Amino acid sequence: MPLDTLRSNPLREGLAQRSIPDPCTLVIFGATGDLTHRKLVPALYNLAADGALPPAISVVGFARRDKSDEVFRTELEEAARKFSRQAINDDLWKNFASTICYHRSEFDNLEGYRALARRLDDMDAARGTGGNRLFYLAAGPDQFEVILENLRKSGLNKAHPGAWSRIIVEKPFGTDLPSAKRLNDLVENAFDESETFRIDHYLGKETAQNIIVLRFANALFEAMWNSRYIDHVQITASEPLGVEGRAGYYEKSGALRDMVQNHLLQLLCLTAMEPPAGLDADSIRDEKVKVLRSLRPLTGSDVFKHVVRAQYGAGSINGKRVAAYRDELNVNPESVTETYVAMELNVDNWRWAGVPFFIRVGKRLPKAGTEIAVHFKSVPPVLFRATGESIDDNVLVIRIQPDEGISLRMSAKMPGSSLRIEPVKMDFHYGTSFGKATPEAYERLLLDAMSGDATLFARRDEVEQAWKFVDAIHEAWTTRTDDLALYSSGSWGPGEADELIKRHESTWRRL
Amino acid sequence: METALTSHPFIELGIPVEIGRIDKELGKLWESSDDTKTRASLINLVVYTEDEAAMSADNEVLAAVAGRHPCRAILILGNPSAPGSEAKAWISAHCHLFGRDTLQTCSEQITFRLEGDAANALPNIVFSHLDSDLPLCLWWKADFPEPLDEKLWSWVDRLIFDSTSWQNPHHQFSIIRHISSSGKSGAVLCDLNWTRLHAWRFALASQFDNASAFPHLSSVESLSLRCAPCCRISALLLAGWLAGRLKWRLDIENETFISKSGQAIPFQIEEVLGPNLSLISIKCSEAQFQLELAEGSDFFQSTIQTPGIPEIRQILPAPRGRLEDTLLAELSRAGRHAFYTESLEVILPLLSR
Repeated sequence: MPLDTLRSNPLREGLAQRSIPDPCTLVIFGATGDLTHRKLVPALYNLAADGALPPAISVVGFARRDKSDEVFRTELEEAARKFSRQAINDDLWKNFASTICYHRSEFDNLEGYRALARRLDDMDAARGTGGNRLFYLAAGPDQFEVILENLRKSGLNKAHPGAWSRIIVEKPFGTDLPSAKRLNDLVENAFDESETFRIDHYLGKETAQNIIVLRFANALFEAMWNSRYIDHVQITASEPLGVEGRAGYYEKSGALRDMVQNHLLQLLCLTAMEPPAGLDADSIRDEKVKVLRSLRPLTGSDVFKHVVRAQYGAGSINGKRVAAYRDELNVNPESVTETYVAMELNVDNWRWAGVPFFIRVGKRLPKAGTEIAVHFKSVPPVLFRATGESIDDNVLVIRIQPDEGISLRMSAKMPGSSLRIEPVKMDFHYGTSFGKATPEAYERLLLDAMSGDATLFARRDEVEQAWKFVDAIHEAWTTRTDDLALYSSGSWGPGEADELIKRHESTWRRL
Repeated sequence: METALTSHPFIELGIPVEIGRIDKELGKLWESSDDTKTRASLINLVVYTEDEAAMSADNEVLAAVAGRHPCRAILILGNPSAPGSEAKAWISAHCHLFGRDTLQTCSEQITFRLEGDAANALPNIVFSHLDSDLPLCLWWKADFPEPLDEKLWSWVDRLIFDSTSWQNPHHQFSIIRHISSSGKSGAVLCDLNWTRLHAWRFALASQFDNASAFPHLSSVESLSLRCAPCCRISALLLAGWLAGRLKWRLDIENETFISKSGQAIPFQIEEVLGPNLSLISIKCSEAQFQLELAEGSDFFQSTIQTPGIPEIRQILPAPRGRLEDTLLAELSRAGRHAFYTESLEVILPLLSR
């Protein structure tokens, strides 16, 4: 049945403005891994608890280890009880678990995929899932190529008439531009771009989605969202955690490729983009790509002028001594991998001419937090000069995590007969204002993928444009290593980063 | 997770205050607080009741609601038939801890007791104690009076009521139709009976999102519902919604619906003790769809039987039974209730029987 017919369900009208998922089978490659246990299955359970899953759904775990359906379900139940946002209801879990099964196969064994195809056909007949298939690449990125190739060879990438076949690709989308292009070619070889959903879970977060509403549904902000009123923007992603057993991956990626290429540039795009023509996926993604294309390239010596890289040394976090990065397990003692990056970016278009975007991301910083801080220009110091009072600039902070919300700093007169001006903060917290739990990013993203809504997923040209920008920085870094700064664990980063923003006569925000 | 705290030293309705000093006393309430509290408010929630025995329960509901949906709460006990004229007021605060933080978010509550002539001052009492710029939600827990005081109703943004509590629903519905059409843009009608039906409507709609199920909507042959004796109006509203959405009309003589193609669709409502609404079964020419809610359960048992496909059974979230959950669900919504009046118009002739 055509999707349009389903959308015209007259009983659905007026009930909920959200994605309506089609009956389908979700196949997770790498089903015994951390992502499946911590994020995907708890997200699916929460969708079931909210009644958001379609009546007919099957979940198939595809992995190499030998185990029965029953053992797989039991493992998932344990994980769901630990990681689910909502408490597990036994009846509901039992019902949900009945839709889960396990398919054992090596990723490079074509026969395993052919057997999967037969099994999926049987399940369609038995459960009414209509031949719709959603494949989720939750395995290690080194397995993507072989999985995609075998999906193509086994014909699983092609849907039966009237049904659909889609793929969700988990980051990293390559490790540089050539590898991203290669991966995108491989995906494109098997799936159309409209069937491809590249997950950047930051985009599934409520506050990230709210940036568009805040900007374009409030005349107050959009009218001032330009170089006339904004002095600069700071985007920060900090975490107290170290490399935490991911040294193998992190040594090769570093903060620039692990965080800046995807999450932080996506946040920058949402902050800087022009109003889209509509709220459909491509209208929004078109505007985001324009921002990436407008980023002033950083190459050669400019990189060392506008980008600071650093690595954490020993220090203390929450009162506990922690080791230096180079002393972490499986890290090269002479590693030059950056665990901190601060950079000054410029979006060369009319709206943002002369407004720097400062980005910083780091591990072993004092606290966890991701935020966008929009610093407005100072008022002319005419009126209050005589009082000797300094006036803080207005700052609009969009907190992405934790404690999602928005705050606005402004100046107010202190009560009393003298004129004293102090900054005050207007604060909006999602948790306390709306009083209901914010869904996990993966819940929204899975639902959207089942519904075919790609708005919150990265498009091929976005990913490649972001890599192009980041690769130029990385290339410059390969020419020398003496610029790598060190910072103590538990500090807010190296002095070089402070100098970077000081050139703009500003300082980093203390979260 | 949130933890309700008892706001010392207020008991029940709080601290008695002179009506003219309410704002000052509320200010003192915050100044005297010895720990960090944030006053938060999203709406003005005014509750009007004439049932003194229910005041304590209403107070508890407001405290629970404030914990999830910060508001300026105004609870009014009116007794217009009392002799003389007397007005009394109390203030209190509801504070809650949010998350793992020690952030306490507090909502203010003002409670009024209006007797005799003072009850006629209701609009003034309400208007002079609202948080400015925030929407006004009025939960009217009594029969609507006649004649209506336009001064009050024209400023209400959301008018909350519960049609299951009405003795004469036909008459009461005719009054609220008038209220909704008065004022600047007309108050949004929020019938808690309709709010409770949201989970039913959502689950029913989900059954027909299925590609194999959708075509059967055009071949419905009969409709069965089961409800508690108190709640026939709930079953009627659900049937009215289905009829309105599928463009059926009511044949009042025979008490059946007539489909677009002229096919008679008999419906029956069985009244048994148990949940307000416990079953809806839609029989089509070649398929059957059923939602059943067992006593005390948080989930519907959904069953879909269509030809050529094995029976699909699913568990779906059902409405929560507690009043505060229903009220919170209502307050969390935005915009108008699509199809409430459409459903009501369908069943209105049946309400006068």
